[in-house]
This record gives sequence, C-alpha cells and structure tokens, in this order.
Amino acid sequence: MATKTIDRSDLPEVYIDDILMSLKYFADEHEAHLKIIDPQVCIACQGKPCLNFCPVGAYKAQEGGTVQIAYQACVECGTCRVMCPPKNVFWKLPRGGYGVSYKFG
Amino acid sequence: MVNKNEKLVFDVIVVGAGLAGSAAAVTAARGGLNVVMVERGVAPGSKNYFGGALYTHSLLDIYPDFFDRKPPLERPVTETGFWFLSKDGMVRMTVQGGKINNNPIDAYVAQRAKFDAWWAEQARKEGVFLIPKTVVVDFIRENGKVVGVMTDRAQGEIYAPVVIVCEGVNNLLTQKLGLIKHDFKGNATALAVKQLISLPAETINTRLGLRSSDEGLAISVVGDVSMGLPGLGFLYTGKDSLSLGVGVTLDALSAAQIKPYELLQRYLNHPMIAPLIAGGQLMEYGAHLIPEGGWSTMPQLYTDGVMVAGDAASMVNAMHWEGTNMAITAGKAAGETAVEAHKKGDFSANTLSAYRKRLENTFVLKDLHQYRNMSRFLHNHPEFMDVYPNFLNDALGMFFTGFGKPKKQLYSDILKSLTSRRPLLKAVGDMVAFGRTVMGI
Repeated sequence: MATKTIDRSDLPEVYIDDILMSLKYFADEHEAHLKIIDPQVCIACQGKPCLNFCPVGAYKAQEGGTVQIAYQACVECGTCRVMCPPKNVFWKLPRGGYGVSYKFG
Repeated sequence: MVNKNEKLVFDVIVVGAGLAGSAAAVTAARGGLNVVMVERGVAPGSKNYFGGALYTHSLLDIYPDFFDRKPPLERPVTETGFWFLSKDGMVRMTVQGGKINNNPIDAYVAQRAKFDAWWAEQARKEGVFLIPKTVVVDFIRENGKVVGVMTDRAQGEIYAPVVIVCEGVNNLLTQKLGLIKHDFKGNATALAVKQLISLPAETINTRLGLRSSDEGLAISVVGDVSMGLPGLGFLYTGKDSLSLGVGVTLDALSAAQIKPYELLQRYLNHPMIAPLIAGGQLMEYGAHLIPEGGWSTMPQLYTDGVMVAGDAASMVNAMHWEGTNMAITAGKAAGETAVEAHKKGDFSANTLSAYRKRLENTFVLKDLHQYRNMSRFLHNHPEFMDVYPNFLNDALGMFFTGFGKPKKQLYSDILKSLTSRRPLLKAVGDMVAFGRTVMGI
C-alpha cells in the first residue's frame, strides 16, 4: 500500500471504558485467557501497536516499557493474536460460558 | 447419547452454534442422525457479531416456512446502496423499489445474539442436542483419524465419526488439523467495530426518509469513513436502533496507529452522520474480525472425519457483504455430506470431498473464486477509499451549483478535481483493474 500522511486533526479522543459499559461480560476471575508470553519482548518492541489496535483498549503500557492486558475487557476478536509483531501474546478462548456475552450482536 | 462404555457418542458433532453450525446440525438431524452441537457462549449468538443483514434465500433454503416461524428480525432492507463520504459532504447512490421490492424481500436486518439463539432453537426442535458454555479445545484421534472432540469440561470427551467445524473466524481447531498452514494474516483480515444506537422508530423513519417501520436501509459507506485506509463503513436500520460501524484491514489499521473506536467515533461525528444519531443512546459496542481473504485464505475444506464451514473457512465476500448466506449454504452442504457418509459407513476424506463438490455448484465457491483477488486489489488501490469518493462529491457538487461560471469552465474544473488527485491515465487504469478484479473478466 502506498504510504501517505493521514490527517488526524479530527480524530476524537474516546474514553473506551465508558463505551465498554454497554457490554455484558461473564468475567473469569480465576483464569486469564490472554497473557504476555515474555515481558522483556514487550520492552524491546518499538511500536507497541497493541496499545492502539485493540478495539477495547485492553493493552495498557506500564512503567518500564512492559504491557499489561486487561483480559476481562476482551471481546475475543483475535486482532492481537494476528497483529502482535513479535507474536508475544498467548491467546486462547475463555472457558465455556465466560467472556463477552453480546445482548444484541 | 451414552453407550455401554459410558462414552458420549453421537453420529455427528457440530462445533459452534452459529449460522453455519445450526444449518449443518438441522440438516444432519433431518437425515436421521443423532447430532450434538457444542457452543462456547452462554447461549447461541452470545459470541456472534455482524453489521448486518441476513439474506432471505439462504434462510428459506433451510426453513421454507421461515417467516411463519416468527423469526426475530428487525426490518426488511427496502433501500440499499452506497453513501460516498467526503470530509464534510456525501453523495448517496441507493436503490429502492424495482428489483429491491421482491416478495419476499431479499435481505433483513437482524441482531445476531437474538437471531442465532432462535436459529439454534429451530434446530433443537428437530432433535439436535445443544451443549452450551463449552469450548472444544482439541480433537480425539485414533489411528490418525478424528473420532471425536475434547471439550473444556471434566470428562468432556464426545465421540462421533464426523465433526463439522463451524468455529468462526478464529479458526484454531482448523489450524490444529493442519487444514491451513498458518494463522491468518493482517493483510487479508479486517477488524470491524460497531455501535448499536437506540432511537425511537419514528425518529429513524423521519431522519432516513422511511415511510414506516416496515422499511429499512442497508448502506455501504465509502470514503472519509475509513480515513483513506482500505475499509468500509456501514449503516443498518433496526426497528428502534441504528447500527453504524467501520471495518478496516488489520495491517493498515495497525500501521496507521489509529484506535478503532476513535475511527468509529470520527465516523459518528461526521457532519452527514451525526444528525442521524443525535439524541440516541449507545446500546452496545462490539468488535469482530472478518476473514476477507476469501478464496486466498481458505483452508482445505475437509479431511478424514472433518468438514469446515463458515467464517472458519474464510467464506466471506467482502465486496457484497455476503458471508452469512455462504455460512448457511455451506453448513447445509456439510450436513448433507454427513448423512451421505453415514449411509456409506465411510468417513474418509474421499467421501467427504462430496462437500466441496456440492459447494462448487453453488454461489459459495463460484463467487469466492471470482473475487479471489479482491482483498489484495483494495489493499493495493486505496484510491477507491479516498480519491474517488472525494472526486464524486466534488464533481456532483460542482455540476449542481451555478456560481455564474460558464459550463466549459465547470467541466474543466471537474476534470481538474480528478487529475489533481490522480493522473487521468492512472484513473482509467484503476477502473479497468477494478472491473477485471470484480467481474472476473
């Protein structure tokens, strides 16, 4: 794809946590279905695109350059599994009955 | 069905109670088979997400009395087409009446959590056994052949000589079988995000020019909505809700470092869109991947004891927003093939190859083959998301305004508004390439 500059001037700032209030979850408090495999790999990762591409903003930058996953907010889309550049995400489906539960879909 | 060794044994296991799964399951049950359908959500549909509209032809194909069963549908699609957005304007190109005014109407807006639960319930009424809240984590193999599945429940083994995998876009089981060599890639997969916004039906009707709640829109939104990235927006009308979303290729989204929910909010803030949803309340946000690669990312559709259908098999025609109908048609074909295999008592890849042969005779594989280069084409031609929608807005805007300019100047200005964005020869080349890719000519 041809690279070109993108005009971001009208890109609004959105507080995703407010939007996630509209979602219903059965959170699995005992088992995280997403994990960072090696925190050192995140420190070395330059772009950290996960901080942007996750549609629920579950990836949060930590002090020291690591990344933490708020797996409870995950809608199980799969973007991080596909797009994490060093493939540093352990990704599986939540246990049966857990995770996001769309009311409308 | 528990046999004498206390094993759970069925004739067919269907993984996933979505559109493909329930179509496969009910077809197999009608052929006299004992069918179990395993669903990971609390109920069928609770993990499923789309724009979106369902296509009547595929629904009637499974249930000829579909409409008598009172399915949970939102509105018929009585107007459909494109809205081309510039930064602050819009050209609408939609069709209504005529061929759209079929009986029955060609497509209906629906909400998947409600619809898929109902769709699975219809299969249950015909004898399909549903196990919800259960994840299939692997296959059970004997002598190298699949003979059942492992679930995440204690003693969660289920046995059957044939498994129909309708696991959805995150096709980890399909990958485990080696039917596709690698996980899908960011250049052939789109992330779609959507807000469902509640509004009174009368408000929707007034704002969108609908005469009653028995009329509805399905709109593809092109241009400013994707900020020049390869992607599309959409708008669908529910009874008392509007569904607005945007889908963008993963590679481009990641490279642009844009947060998908901010891209979506920007669309909702657009001066042509914001008045439509003013005063509305967010009912639900969500996100889902779309396997837009279609033909190019399709796994092998069968192996010994297994068939794959729906999103798991990349059955999506992104250009025409088709996928749900392909899933249903493929599910049915897999169900029929399972019945045939039981009659023969042979579940080898050779027997199950009839599944693919069935699909080759339908629009599913015909269309996926015809559009095989589409996702790569749009990836390489972002002009279609940017240059041409803007040009269209400029051109029509100039054509229908006077400003007291001689018309010769008008046409020269219109041409300039194209050539300043894209050299004329390149533009002609784009159109020829587009025609070739879409029409397969």
